[in-house]
Amino acid sequence: MSKDWRSYEPLLIPDIPNLHKIDVYEQNGGYSALRNVLNDQDTWSRENVVNEVKEANIRGRGGAGFNAGLKWSFMPKPDGGPRYLACNGDESEPGTFKDRAIFEYNPHIFIEGAIIAAYAMTVDTIYVYLRGEYIAWVRMLQEAIDAAYEKGYLGKNILGKKGIDIDMHVAYGAGAYICGEETSMLESLEGKRGYPRIKPPFPAQKGLWGRPTTINNIETLSNVPLVINNGAEWYKNIGAETHPGPILYGISGHVNKPGVYELPSGVPVMDLINEVAGGIRGGKKFKALIPGGSSTPVLRADQLEDVTMDADSLRTAGSMMGTAGMVVMDEDTDMVDVLWRISHFYRHESCGQCTPCRDGTGWLEKVLLKIRNGEGEIKDLDLLLDITTMMEGRTICALADAAAWPVRHTINRFRDEFEARCKKSVHAIA
Amino acid sequence: MSEVFIDGKRYEFEGDHMALQFIMDLGKEVPFFCYHPAMSIPGNCRQCMVKAGQYIKNQDSGEYELDENGERKVRWFPKMQISCSLKLTDGMVIQTQETSEEAERAQKDTMEFLLINHPLDCPICDQAGECPLQIQTYKYGPEGSRFEVKKVHRPKRVQLGPRVTLDAERCINCTRCVRFTDEISKSHQLTIVSRGAKNYPTTSPDETFDDPYSLNTVDICPVGALTSTDFRFKARVWEMSQTPSIDITNGKGCNIDLWTRDNEVLRITPRYNKEVNDHWMPDAGREAYKLFNENRVSRPSITLDGDDQPHTSWNNAIETFAEILEANDSENILVIGSPHASVEENYAVNKFFNLLGAPNARFVSHIVPGSGDGFLITDDQAPNTNGCRLLNIDEASPEALRSAVNNASVVIILADDLVGRGVLSKNDLNNPYVITFATNYSDTTRASDLVIPITCVAEHAASYINVDGRIQRSFPAKETKYTNRRLNLEMSEGRLDRYGTSFDNWVSDDNKIDCRPAWDFLNKLAERLGLGFSYLHSRAILAEIADQIPAFEGVSYERMDEENGIQLITEQQEIKQD
Ligand SMILES: Cc1cc2nc3c(=O)[nH]c(=O)nc-3n(C[C@H](O)[C@H](O)[C@H](O)COP(=O)(O)O)c2cc1C
Ligand code: SF4
Ligand code: FES
Repeated sequence: MSKDWRSYEPLLIPDIPNLHKIDVYEQNGGYSALRNVLNDQDTWSRENVVNEVKEANIRGRGGAGFNAGLKWSFMPKPDGGPRYLACNGDESEPGTFKDRAIFEYNPHIFIEGAIIAAYAMTVDTIYVYLRGEYIAWVRMLQEAIDAAYEKGYLGKNILGKKGIDIDMHVAYGAGAYICGEETSMLESLEGKRGYPRIKPPFPAQKGLWGRPTTINNIETLSNVPLVINNGAEWYKNIGAETHPGPILYGISGHVNKPGVYELPSGVPVMDLINEVAGGIRGGKKFKALIPGGSSTPVLRADQLEDVTMDADSLRTAGSMMGTAGMVVMDEDTDMVDVLWRISHFYRHESCGQCTPCRDGTGWLEKVLLKIRNGEGEIKDLDLLLDITTMMEGRTICALADAAAWPVRHTINRFRDEFEARCKKSVHAIA
Repeated sequence: MSEVFIDGKRYEFEGDHMALQFIMDLGKEVPFFCYHPAMSIPGNCRQCMVKAGQYIKNQDSGEYELDENGERKVRWFPKMQISCSLKLTDGMVIQTQETSEEAERAQKDTMEFLLINHPLDCPICDQAGECPLQIQTYKYGPEGSRFEVKKVHRPKRVQLGPRVTLDAERCINCTRCVRFTDEISKSHQLTIVSRGAKNYPTTSPDETFDDPYSLNTVDICPVGALTSTDFRFKARVWEMSQTPSIDITNGKGCNIDLWTRDNEVLRITPRYNKEVNDHWMPDAGREAYKLFNENRVSRPSITLDGDDQPHTSWNNAIETFAEILEANDSENILVIGSPHASVEENYAVNKFFNLLGAPNARFVSHIVPGSGDGFLITDDQAPNTNGCRLLNIDEASPEALRSAVNNASVVIILADDLVGRGVLSKNDLNNPYVITFATNYSDTTRASDLVIPITCVAEHAASYINVDGRIQRSFPAKETKYTNRRLNLEMSEGRLDRYGTSFDNWVSDDNKIDCRPAWDFLNKLAERLGLGFSYLHSRAILAEIADQIPAFEGVSYERMDEENGIQLITEQQEIKQD
């Protein structure tokens, strides 16, 4: 890290009152990135915008950490037909609640980023997909979008530039985690059942209504104005080298001050827990952390010394960055309960399309329930591990993986606790 | 030409191919459920996994890179691939369950998952015996199950519509049925509801699955989740014999199979013919099985005074028929052919009376404009209108036929319910002596003076020319009083009765109809009249037609069997219409 995180000034959700109002946003330099781009289309040709964003290496904040600019460059050449940007605000992974902060405190930075992305990819229509439970935030976002239309940042001839026509529509789901998976979200946007699609074809080739489409997370796009205003070099200097930029850490669980905190990537995990989030509640001992949403493998406290919140460090430690939704657990946490609850979630949310996920998630949950109720046997633990192998990498989307990983890693990392819950095996000795 | 290596063997290919279909076309197998060649590929069952990779080519030389043993280096894909949507590329390497333990393992794993929530109620399930899930489990499934917790419960015995019953617990969520209504019948009546293992297909609330093609979903459902409400629990599939035939309920001539047991047709299913009906048929055609069993004319009948129509002997029928013909001027005999009867029957009847000196036969087509759907249901209600036309039977309007009837002293009607379908009225038939060849009782037989029972499409080999001008044929599927399955080599046999055990499915004579092929009856009548008319079987009649009528040149049963029907009329050719 180039600078100490303690001196970091928030960029995505700075502490400015009423920043969600367009005037306040403009007074604080808002929409200048879009203005600069559209007023100087020689410097900021569509291609140059893509390249600058690619260079900045904004890694997707939706969970997979893919370079946003690189993803944009997969869009085929325009052929005159419609092209789409689908913005993913479904945010349904347990432990994840950071896009909500953008909708609430700084919706315009996301809108501005999405418009620049649409310009860069020659997209004419932007869809924003929110989880249905976020109905209050749907309204907040819609107000911001209406204001942007009024000011001429959206609609026909944006900022008076002929031929720059971009629309933004808000859609929301009906309470299905799967609709956050990008192709499932496209199905849902088309008004269909949220079933993930098989790839190929990839969305860039055949996305919404069969047309070229790019899917990005809300936070990912919110980083775009920062890159345009300050350049890729500046951006790359924020936080961890291979995973640069500001991160919205959503910290929950047994801490004194849970919440969404904007800090650079690569902050030491223990600093985040002890300083940022005010330490473990009630002076208890720290036991375990789920670093990036419920699908990312849990880490024991002893595995977290010197670990920082970025893709590389977390991979070395045996987990993943995911959405940076950190679930902190203290010494009283029952890991069997935790795992059962996580498995319950994935069982409930499996769309049911692929066999290994549809039937595997339910099997996992039921065996875990049996163990939780003290009816399990040691062999059930091995069965659970076996089921995870039978599920992983065998389905259309990654939900099965997301369901399998926590089971495998929680059992492996807390096996004692699981064995203690199982019935004793009794062997008769002659 | 590109090359692909499957289980260690090299194959060449051109164009776009998915691995699964390519492998099946080679005569090899990979188990699968959701894939259907006529519909989109959802890749959801995950049963068709194979191990796949790519031989590594040197970028510069374009040559394959070799390892220290001189073998080509393979870059395996990190995950098992579903072969149904794995597009072949040049230099691709595929290992199926035959050569890869990983693929075999992955397939076993999927099978284990499929079975944990399945009720495993094969002993009471209609699908048993023809169930892909059952078959694949035996071939590729695990030895047992490690599932010791509770199964998911889902709705059972749901009447989805008038003809289809759902047992959602058996459903494996392959979405074949949903895709059928979306992509083939386009009624969009089915969708999957609920989530995860609680998923099952159903209609919207308050809607009913009355798609005129609904029963096709029963055929393609790879488990016993969708069953035919009518056929449920009637027979185990292995008790029946399966005989190829043609749907005679409309003009399309869908290729079908007749499923018979003990001389009753129990169900009808579509038979694949890319040129005609692909894998499908309308529900109405399936209900026709009843026509072959019920309300059949069995033994000749003769009308006495009043409406009394008692049975009579074949000898008496022949004698009466002959006497009527002898007593009337042949000029005054009106012969009415039928678009509902076969090519052979129409030809034989017309020829017989031509020999006697009667005028050429006529027929009235049975077309109901607007009743077709442009898919497999046609305006034409009869299977052989084009057959009558190509045989040069004179096509008449109902009015013309009515006046011809009024002027005739004897009217011969070949298997056509002219009264029932409103072409003639009972009164029209009051004056002439009316002789009807019929398969089933109808308003027309009841208005006739003499009724000769003849074989139906399920009992004889005969050909029919569909609305598109394609000639196709039937095979005898059930015995009459005068046929013997074991002597008639064309008749198919079921799995059990082939061995003549006491479980033989052909046990009683009760269901045999006392009828004869029309030409066979005419043979006997010719003998009585001293007429030079004699055919051993329908094959001989068709041979003569092929010889005599240019439109039928080169047509034979052998060719029809080999080519799955023969296109006789091409689009450019005009059909002769009076
Ligand atoms: C089951 C599942 C659920 C997902 N849910 C979300 C979500 O709620 N929000 C999100 O941004 N990405 C979600 N993703 C990831 C998206 O598929 C996709 O990778 C992401 O939106 C791409 O945006 P990014 O590259 O900007 O991160 C989910 C993925 C899976 C497999
Ligand atoms: S009912 Fe049959 S065809 Fe339909 S989804 Fe279930 S298993 Fe597939
Ligand atoms: S046949 Fe390939 S996934 Fe079902």
